[in-house]
Amino acid sequence: MILLALRDDFPILKREVNGYPLIYLDNAATTQKPQVVLDAMNEYYTSSNSNVHRAVHTLAGEATEGYEACRTQLKEWFNAERAVITSGTTEAINLVAHAWGRANLSEGDAIVLTEMEHHSDIVPWQMLAEERGIELRYVPVMEDFTLDMEVYAASLTNAKLVCVVHTSNVLGVRNPLEEITKLAHEHGALVLIDAAQGVPHERIDFKDSKADFMAFSAHKMCGPTGIGALLIQPEVFQTMQPFMGGGDMIETVTVNGSTFQTNEHKFEAGTPRIAEAVGWCAAFDWMSSLDLREEHQRLVGIARWVAEQLRAMDISVYGRHEAGDSAVVSFLHPTIQSEDLAHLLDARGIAVRTGHHCAQPLLHRLGISGTVRASFYLYNTMEEAELFIEQMKYISGRFG
Amino acid sequence: MTYPADLAELIEEFQEVEDKMERLEMVFDMADEVIPFPPEQWTAISKVQGCQSEAHVKVELQDGKVLLLSGADAKLVQGLMGILSIAINGSAPAQALLLSPDFAEEMGILNSLSPSRSNGFRNMFDKVMREIRVLE
Repeated sequence: MILLALRDDFPILKREVNGYPLIYLDNAATTQKPQVVLDAMNEYYTSSNSNVHRAVHTLAGEATEGYEACRTQLKEWFNAERAVITSGTTEAINLVAHAWGRANLSEGDAIVLTEMEHHSDIVPWQMLAEERGIELRYVPVMEDFTLDMEVYAASLTNAKLVCVVHTSNVLGVRNPLEEITKLAHEHGALVLIDAAQGVPHERIDFKDSKADFMAFSAHKMCGPTGIGALLIQPEVFQTMQPFMGGGDMIETVTVNGSTFQTNEHKFEAGTPRIAEAVGWCAAFDWMSSLDLREEHQRLVGIARWVAEQLRAMDISVYGRHEAGDSAVVSFLHPTIQSEDLAHLLDARGIAVRTGHHCAQPLLHRLGISGTVRASFYLYNTMEEAELFIEQMKYISGRFG
Repeated sequence: MTYPADLAELIEEFQEVEDKMERLEMVFDMADEVIPFPPEQWTAISKVQGCQSEAHVKVELQDGKVLLLSGADAKLVQGLMGILSIAINGSAPAQALLLSPDFAEEMGILNSLSPSRSNGFRNMFDKVMREIRVLE
């Protein structure tokens, strides 16, 4: 009954697709937004729209309060001292590459990545590596879909940074971040966690995590698209240099040069995403009423059941669905091509994703070029999972 | 848009079917209509870029008329290739170039044919038209 009430908060869940009730299972790509988020953004544009920070008029004050409330919320939710608001996970990682990497890395240094990374945690480092003569080391993924920790430990010599995904967007596997971070620090390397798939399922204490950077996006946790954050430990924050110049990030500008802000604003040049920040705040408020741990257990239970059902149909499933993993089920049908399968499911109102999921090195390791991915979130029900399996059986029988 | 008679008839047949899954099945059946382009002849040049599935096309002129050879690992894409083959094979290049890709939407198969969207059909259609223009 509680879940049904929760679903009422999401107007989009009432729509039909191709004559069938929408079953939205593409949550690892983006989640749906509760009415309170839509209302907050609408209210901001209706009543308070203005630019932030410098103007003295009332609207500017309200806009600034709305924007900065998001930062306060981020710091409280994640127990962080520094929270830079970005356009999303990708910009947050690029920010580390430019603002920390350029100031602290030079030829001969090494960065440790994993084969499990999303392209957004590979490409910025490849670009920097090429520019600076930095060595990139990749930790392999083993047959049980986990990282090879022996290779990881051996790869830390002379490493300055470890970049690791919190939870794989393809496999749903949560990495042993505590161990990874501890080992990296023992070798003097900093740690960046790509938590895009982690924060929707787990309330992370950034200070306790000991990681140096953590990047994530709002839209994967019921917030708006176009906004995310980079959390930074305070001592590391001091070692970063601004990389994008413009308004808002300066202290003074003369024709001879500029001085910069000393707080997070020095990394937020230009007009920020104000309405999105207001919307994200509303999403945090909405999520704070839920027991995320309990919800996560329910969702992983659904994912595990779906994976078992698919395996029983001779479908290859990639992932293990253990307690800490996310509710993502990646699979390949033995005879129906993935894109065809996604079209057929869409014909019954079921939204899934196909393709390489921006993780081509991982898929290469698995020896495949793509998967179909069904991903579950707070508003998904066991009944939807059963309907999904029912349709998979029907489609397999008719087209397989 | 006026379509060639064969294609217009197909569009009408598709529009009579309400259930999208049945329409998709009809497209899958059209996969047999292609003139096969064997996978062993597929190259980087014949590949349809930006397509989630593996899809390849080759356009030739036979007695001055268009001949499309095609193949894909996705039945939907190959089915659409089959429909395109019915529409353009045997036509003069200038005639084939008049075809609009909108027929896939009118048939109720695809929802959006925006060129910016990663869409196997649209990419395939554009590549075929580019090759016809070169041969014209």
